[in-house]
Amino acid sequence: MGSTVFVGFQRILVAFDASPHAEHALNVALSMAGDMKSKLFVVAVIRPPEPAESAEFNAVLEDGRERYERSFIPIREIARQKEIELETDIVVGHPAEQILHRADVIQASLIVLGKRSHTILHRWMLGSNSERVLKYAHCPVMIVH
Amino acid sequence: MMNTWALCALWVGLALAATLLAIWFKISTALSEIVVGTVAQLVIGAFMAQGGLLGNTQWITFLAGTGAIVLTFLAGAELDPVIFRTKWREASVIGLAGFFGPFLGCTAVAHFVLHWAIMPSWLCGVALSTTSVAVVYAVMLELGFNVTEYGKSILAACFINDLGTVIALGLIFSPFTIKTLIFIVVSAAVFAILPFLTPWFFRKYGGRVSELEAKYILFLLFAMGGLAMWAGSEAVLPAYMIGMVLAGTVGKDHSLIRRLRTLTFGLLTPFYFIRAGSFVSVPALMAAPATLLILFLAKSLCKAATVYPAVRVHKYDGSSGAYYTLMMSTGLTFGTISALFGLNHGIITQAQYSYLVGTVIASAVIPTVIANSLFLPRHLLPHAVTSKKSEPPMQQSNAAGEV
Repeated sequence: MGSTVFVGFQRILVAFDASPHAEHALNVALSMAGDMKSKLFVVAVIRPPEPAESAEFNAVLEDGRERYERSFIPIREIARQKEIELETDIVVGHPAEQILHRADVIQASLIVLGKRSHTILHRWMLGSNSERVLKYAHCPVMIVH
Repeated sequence: MMNTWALCALWVGLALAATLLAIWFKISTALSEIVVGTVAQLVIGAFMAQGGLLGNTQWITFLAGTGAIVLTFLAGAELDPVIFRTKWREASVIGLAGFFGPFLGCTAVAHFVLHWAIMPSWLCGVALSTTSVAVVYAVMLELGFNVTEYGKSILAACFINDLGTVIALGLIFSPFTIKTLIFIVVSAAVFAILPFLTPWFFRKYGGRVSELEAKYILFLLFAMGGLAMWAGSEAVLPAYMIGMVLAGTVGKDHSLIRRLRTLTFGLLTPFYFIRAGSFVSVPALMAAPATLLILFLAKSLCKAATVYPAVRVHKYDGSSGAYYTLMMSTGLTFGTISALFGLNHGIITQAQYSYLVGTVIASAVIPTVIANSLFLPRHLLPHAVTSKKSEPPMQQSNAAGEV
């Protein structure tokens, strides 16, 4: 029986929502990517309100796009300084679905998420994105507390 | 009797509460405001003040009406003229099918099954014929279809669907007189001139702190709305058309659209949606819940009968097709505008209004819940994601289709 050699996570996907938890997760991922010479993918998900209504939906899209683009500027700078290959994406939809979809498309070897502390009511009504990702992901998932 | 500022504080306070609820539950502010309006009217009317929220106060009616007009204008301004020009044939066929199916079907159900009189039945058909461009666009962005030819056609079709609703609302309920003819001729002339006049006017006088652009747009909306009312039509009809004809010019001016949104969301639409919710009679809904169910099924089935075949033609598999069909069965803004028009003009009773708004809300919420709970897990599974056909890149795009 042959043994496999762990060569590190070559393609790390970080879910980013500009929250302190996500920034913490991103810092961990940046550190890992620097150490393992991995390619880092950062995905930010804009979640439209349901049901989406025309003017509000477009406002949410534009606002989210601008906010995340601003957040990506220092991330790109850090990645450049650390010589980490970085790809950023802004997508729209349900966060868990989009994170899993992106992980599948880029064939991520690790998904890194920040852990948000939700109330019991919130978790019951809306579910936890990290739990959903953990349940359906095809690759290892790291949840950073 | 509350003084003006106290009443205003009550309404704005309710708007604030509705916004917080929308943030917490990740639902649209419009939906939250309607529900808050209904509950507040019920509670305040029953326990605190006679007349409840006093939704028929003149200044509230004005703010709410302006909210509906500006919201409709913004919806029209989201059209992408380039896509529309290239896809207009296909979009017209699908859009008109998406309009006429539920329009005629729901009218027939209201008249023959619920035994409503003929005019309330027509209004029922109009109110339930709508679709939501935003909901369909959101789904397309999620699945990445927004950049495909098929996706663009469907989006253009949604505009045609809603245009059908607005035209029906504007023309069916008024007698065709010389005033109607004058309204149509003047509207045609104004719509033809605006795409040329507006950019020139903005270039020459715009870009100042005096907000000339916003005043110009509001002047147009009020003037054409006034003409429409004079002709016995509805002010949202010219507002939607003005939005569409200015989509290629004003619609591209993100700064102006953003300023109009601030005005709309910050002040106007809370009054519109809370007022729309305040007229919903909960006792009427509880007295005949079957009516709500029948109307909801009528809308959903009629939409499915026209939208699903179009989706299947393009060879999308069962769950994707069902997802699209469910999403296209929504339509909150135009649905409530139509129902409120009917109530304000005495076409429908408050009970009928309550059933229509209840159905509109149900058709906005239930398809989303069903689609997400029954079909979303399949999308979550990696094998389902990888086997999804024609996987376009996930790109950012706005409603105008810019990538």
